[in-house]
Amino acid sequence: MTTDNSGDVRLSGISKTYGSFTAVHPLDLTVPQGSFFALLGASGCGKTTTLRMIAGLEEPSSGTVHLGDQDVTHLPPYKRPVNTVFQSYALFPHLDIFENVAFGLRRRGVKSVKKQVEEMLELVQLGEQARKKPHQLSGGQQQRVAVARALINHPKVLLLDEPLGALDLKLRRQMQLELKRIQTEVGITFVHVTHDQEEAMTMADTVAVMNAGRVEQLGAPSDLYENPRTTFVANFLGTSNLIEAEVDTRNGDDIVLKAGDGRLVLPQARCSAPATAGGKVLVGIRPEKIALTHADDAGSIPEGRNRLTGRIADASFIGVSTQYVIDSPVCDDLAVYVQNVERDGRLVPGAEVVLHWSPAHTFGMDAAQSLVAGTVGSAGVETVEEEAA
Amino acid sequence: MPFVTWLKRHLVVIGGLFTLAYLLLPNIVVTVFSFNKPKGRFNYEWQQFSTAAWKDPCGVADMCGSLSLSLQIAFWATVGATLLGTMIAFALVRYRFRARSAVNSLIFLPMAMPEVVMAASLLTLFLNMGAQLGFWTILIAHIMFCLSFVVVAVKARVMSMDPRLEEAARDLYAGPVQTFLRVTLPIAAPGIAAGALLSFALSFDDFIITNFNAGSTVTFPMFVWGSAQRGTPVQINVIGTAMFLVAVLFVLVSMLITNRRNSQKA
Amino acid sequence: MSTLTEAPPPLAPAEPAQKPPRRRGRLTPYWLLLPGLLWLVVFFALPMIYQASTSVQTGSLEDGYKVTWHFATYWDALAEYWPQFLRSVLYAAAATVLCLLLGYPLAYLIAFRAGRWRNLIMVLVIAPFFTSFLIRTLAWKTILADSGPVVHTLNSLHVLDLTNWIGWTAGDRVLATPLAVVCGLTYNFLPFMILPLYTSLERIDGRLHEAAGDLYAKPWTTFRKVTFPLSMPGVVSGTLLTFIPAAGDYVNAELLGSTDTRMIGNVIQTQFLRILDYPTAAALSFILMAAILLVVTVYIRRSGTEDLV
Repeated sequence: MTTDNSGDVRLSGISKTYGSFTAVHPLDLTVPQGSFFALLGASGCGKTTTLRMIAGLEEPSSGTVHLGDQDVTHLPPYKRPVNTVFQSYALFPHLDIFENVAFGLRRRGVKSVKKQVEEMLELVQLGEQARKKPHQLSGGQQQRVAVARALINHPKVLLLDEPLGALDLKLRRQMQLELKRIQTEVGITFVHVTHDQEEAMTMADTVAVMNAGRVEQLGAPSDLYENPRTTFVANFLGTSNLIEAEVDTRNGDDIVLKAGDGRLVLPQARCSAPATAGGKVLVGIRPEKIALTHADDAGSIPEGRNRLTGRIADASFIGVSTQYVIDSPVCDDLAVYVQNVERDGRLVPGAEVVLHWSPAHTFGMDAAQSLVAGTVGSAGVETVEEEAA
Repeated sequence: MPFVTWLKRHLVVIGGLFTLAYLLLPNIVVTVFSFNKPKGRFNYEWQQFSTAAWKDPCGVADMCGSLSLSLQIAFWATVGATLLGTMIAFALVRYRFRARSAVNSLIFLPMAMPEVVMAASLLTLFLNMGAQLGFWTILIAHIMFCLSFVVVAVKARVMSMDPRLEEAARDLYAGPVQTFLRVTLPIAAPGIAAGALLSFALSFDDFIITNFNAGSTVTFPMFVWGSAQRGTPVQINVIGTAMFLVAVLFVLVSMLITNRRNSQKA
Repeated sequence: MSTLTEAPPPLAPAEPAQKPPRRRGRLTPYWLLLPGLLWLVVFFALPMIYQASTSVQTGSLEDGYKVTWHFATYWDALAEYWPQFLRSVLYAAAATVLCLLLGYPLAYLIAFRAGRWRNLIMVLVIAPFFTSFLIRTLAWKTILADSGPVVHTLNSLHVLDLTNWIGWTAGDRVLATPLAVVCGLTYNFLPFMILPLYTSLERIDGRLHEAAGDLYAKPWTTFRKVTFPLSMPGVVSGTLLTFIPAAGDYVNAELLGSTDTRMIGNVIQTQFLRILDYPTAAALSFILMAAILLVVTVYIRRSGTEDLV
């Protein structure tokens, strides 16, 4: 077996239903060998179920799972070259750390495990704790044992089921860097399930955003962030301003849209909706991309920028930036983040302002979607029983 | 602090300790009277202090024989009940199957049914089958009523076990047998041990069901019952006290071990 | 880093991809249940049926028994022994109430107030179990002996006059009176009340008491409104496990009572083992069993079976 694609994970038409629930709708996914892949989504979106199907802990209702060229769909977990780091670590309470880490090696008949286990424990900086029991270690230490226990088996793919969820913020950041470092050094394919979008974007090469059992969008973190294709992705990753607009004309590679009294320009390539004349499109722009100018200085805004007028409803000084909420005839509650470089004293609640941004930062989406999909506590998100078993 | 307030505050504690005293009083009496030298056949009134019975615990005819028989039966009944009961407990916790309610009820009933009813009906069965009453009929009966208690003990332990542990084992290349032997069984062991212990105690101490189904065989409780009519030798108290001490020691030691294990938390 | 770049030992070869998913272990639960359930069916359920059949037989030891559907046996048995039935219910009920009153404080103590003494007290509750209960019950003959300190004290406090008046005792004795039997029953079945109560109480989050206190509840009110309702499963379970076996007990009545305190268990035992009137004995046993099945069914209807075992 060549090492080129043997760490590929290919899901074809994978789905999972529990009775009348569909936890995962048929989906196709390819995780390239050696990459760090994240499945991102809210609770109940099907990401853990998908992970468990790769591990063999769930039988897919349809579809196949391939590891490299090997069809593993019907293989039990103990026959797959895949290991999992569980959310609650699942360390064996009756075995000490050494035996926990050695468990997989022993089951595969490896006779002398001492050297490997000791080296692995050094790698995760737990060399001193080899003879302790899991309940004697802290959460962070237990997590590292779980990683060590999985990695020592040289799996083709390492699956991580929200492994950092139970850790406090500082530790989580540390472990994120740690895991990324290990993955880069070792070159194993990592599939990481998380609901924390910052975590996914920091660590992963590729992110798949899942919602209600479907993959909404897949791509590099920067792609997903700068060019979301659905409102869910736009709202789930960071914050987005979504403005309803009507298609007016074409201008070369750009689409010109009517929003209120003004015109907005959107590059064709950044619009994921069919742009028929008169059709509705959701124009999106990220808050940090918008510049805020007091209405009195409107003349100083360069040509070619998209603009909107409005009035400041709220201004919150965060330290790093100031977050404004702007009411505009075109859209309520526009969010604008202005980095704290020079503070304009006139930008206070009640002030008339002009918002402007480069058209190249605009993205467009199908207007026939819920505007609040992906926001916290949104009513439009289907939640599905992931742990129905 | 005024007495009444103190009383009100500590009412529960006082009540609880009173109940504890009520529970332990007979044991204390048994122990005290094992040092008695009774006048007549019965050992109900204190006469004078004597260690004669302790020096000659098997001095009474047939008593140690019945004791040994009871221990044997208890041992085998424990083996049987623990085996069967553990299997049932696992089935109940780890699997879904039909007729769950019926199974739960069937297991609960022997615990709730008065012994005399079970004893009588079992005797009826044995008589109808023409079975020889003795060791085997007693053993069968004991396994029957100990089963349910083992199920309860094991089930409690297995239910509190993280199912992810078995998944982790399978993820780490352990097949079904390996997973069971290396992960499930060791972790369930305390529950199984508790069930076995309970089963042993229940079997050893059983009287009513044994009495009905023993024929001419005599177990230790039956011996004691007979002696209530014939005459209660002091040795009975000796055995009673010895059993109590062994039991207390056993339980204390096992609790100490568990505590020491648990107290090493980070 | 060498550990991670060494080649791993090879895994078993993969099974062919076309194999359909085998429903892994579908029948496993049934295999696991089979031996134990079979044992219970043959040695618990089946005998009950034999019991029922014997109760409608007629005959004698010499001539043998035949099923004649002689239901008159039931009627005769009830007519003759209804006092013992009633007595059994009364004694068992009294013992259960006493067990609840005595057992609840102890269970509460262990669950909430024991601290580091908890294990020791649990040991003291369970350990008597391991001594033959017959020996311990015989000890009550000493404790309640006519010339003993307990009876002496009760007499001098005129408590016995009170209990005589109610009918629980007679003369200035306690032994061979209903009071002795109930005392014995209470003693024997206390652990069966305490353990379920404790289990139930132990599950209660201590912070609920704090919350109740924070919301202006006095300790007794907290108990009435929070603790006791939450402990109900344990109360019900303990009541069932105490009342039912107590109703069928005959050891206490025999050892501590007199001919006036015979319970239905005594009757069944005599019929079965001495008089050898199997149909009557079976009929009595069946009536007792039917009554209990009724109680348990009512309970199951209300609370389901998942908490039973």
